Amino acid sequence: MPDTQKSVCEQRVFEEVFNTHSKTIRNFIYYKCGDTAQAEDLTQDAFVKLWNNCAKVPFEKAKSYLYTLANNAFLNEVAHKKVVLKHQKSVSSIATHESPEFVYREKEFKAELDRAIANLTKKQREVFLLNRIENKKYKEIAEMLSISVKAVEKRMHGALVSLRSEIKEFKK
Amino acid sequence: MEHQNNDTYLAKWLAGDMSDEELIEFKKTNEYTDYKFIVDVMDELETPDYDQQQNFSATLNKISNQNQKKTTKVRTLIPSWAYAVAATLVLFLAYSFFFQQTTYQAQLADQTNFQLPDGSEVMLNAGSEIAFKSFNWDSNRTLELTGEAYFKVKKGSKFKVVTKEGTVTVLGTQFTVNSRSNFYNVTCFEGKVKVTSGKLNHILTPGNAISIQDNMATPYKTTEAIPSWTAQESSFNAVAIYEVVTELERQYNITISGKENLKVAYFTGRFPHTNLQQALTTVFDTMEIRYTFDANRNVRIQKYK
Repeated sequence: MPDTQKSVCEQRVFEEVFNTHSKTIRNFIYYKCGDTAQAEDLTQDAFVKLWNNCAKVPFEKAKSYLYTLANNAFLNEVAHKKVVLKHQKSVSSIATHESPEFVYREKEFKAELDRAIANLTKKQREVFLLNRIENKKYKEIAEMLSISVKAVEKRMHGALVSLRSEIKEFKK
Repeated sequence: MEHQNNDTYLAKWLAGDMSDEELIEFKKTNEYTDYKFIVDVMDELETPDYDQQQNFSATLNKISNQNQKKTTKVRTLIPSWAYAVAATLVLFLAYSFFFQQTTYQAQLADQTNFQLPDGSEVMLNAGSEIAFKSFNWDSNRTLELTGEAYFKVKKGSKFKVVTKEGTVTVLGTQFTVNSRSNFYNVTCFEGKVKVTSGKLNHILTPGNAISIQDNMATPYKTTEAIPSWTAQESSFNAVAIYEVVTELERQYNITISGKENLKVAYFTGRFPHTNLQQALTTVFDTMEIRYTFDANRNVRIQKYK
């Protein structure tokens, strides 16, 4: 069935939309608040609202609708803690052929990077992580956040500059 | 350097949009190694695990809870908002199509067969009721049972039968659940079944059954291949006589008076669904209970002498 005829009010389509976007939306909010429980809660709420308004939201608009909802819901939550993102440490692949000292340094470095990411501005962080971890293109991010591609690029750039200046290792 | 004044060149570099000359120039700088290192380490970071299934059911729960709230709210709205009410109702109906519970009932002296959305078969015994949500059935096979039923479960996700007395989780395929007022009985005919009641946890394998009365669990064996009641019979294994009498009432749609005259006793045996006279004889005579029975099918239990 062509996408234009799909209706989010159909249970099957709704589930499909959920499966396609819920994880990224969860992470999108997670990058802002650093709290998985809160991020998942807000993501679920966004989908509840999508379901309630399914007749009004065409299938192809569902994605940006969800991002807007989740983003607004996040902004409406008054109190949120200082962001400390806990990234899963995956097995190091670039260090496999390196000396133990290098491995150790890289571990240290990751911890420092986590802190530096937490110190980015909210706007920089969400854009930067959506691109680097979720592999979203600048154009996609611009659509999600309803900002220009240029603004996305500025934030990406700013984020990298700020990370570099935050990390002590480089300041030696 | 030229690009020092540019506030997006790093973004271009990350996206692979730098021209070859720009890239060569950029790679000569000290900052390049730093940025390259940050990006390489970034590539290994991941976000915490995400359980999509669990989040989806949480979302569905929120949707159905909200439905309940909405219905109560609708009643309190003032009449001038009637149009809004109508609109809400249309919406509500649209999604209740997916989220509402489906209910099946078997009347007294009757049994009914039906299929669940995944093709699993259910046979409901007399005076029993089953409710479930057909939306998303395949990933959330949970149903609520009052009374007694026989299930032939198709392979797939977890299958759960929730009753007042406890929960039965299917690890296999064929089983019956009997949950009447004070008595809870589960028999496994094929596969594996997990029974949870209060703190009690019990896994049944084929030919095994468990009955729970007054918080006491008694496991026992059965040689039946299918539940006897699906073959026009009810069978019991040390079941309180009161429960047996109420089963007689359900199967024959009669009222038996004088139940207060029953003593505490347990019945093991079976009665047919097709011959009331014979059924009464089987139960009452073996238990030495005196009773009267008239042409209008009125049964009365007499006092013990």
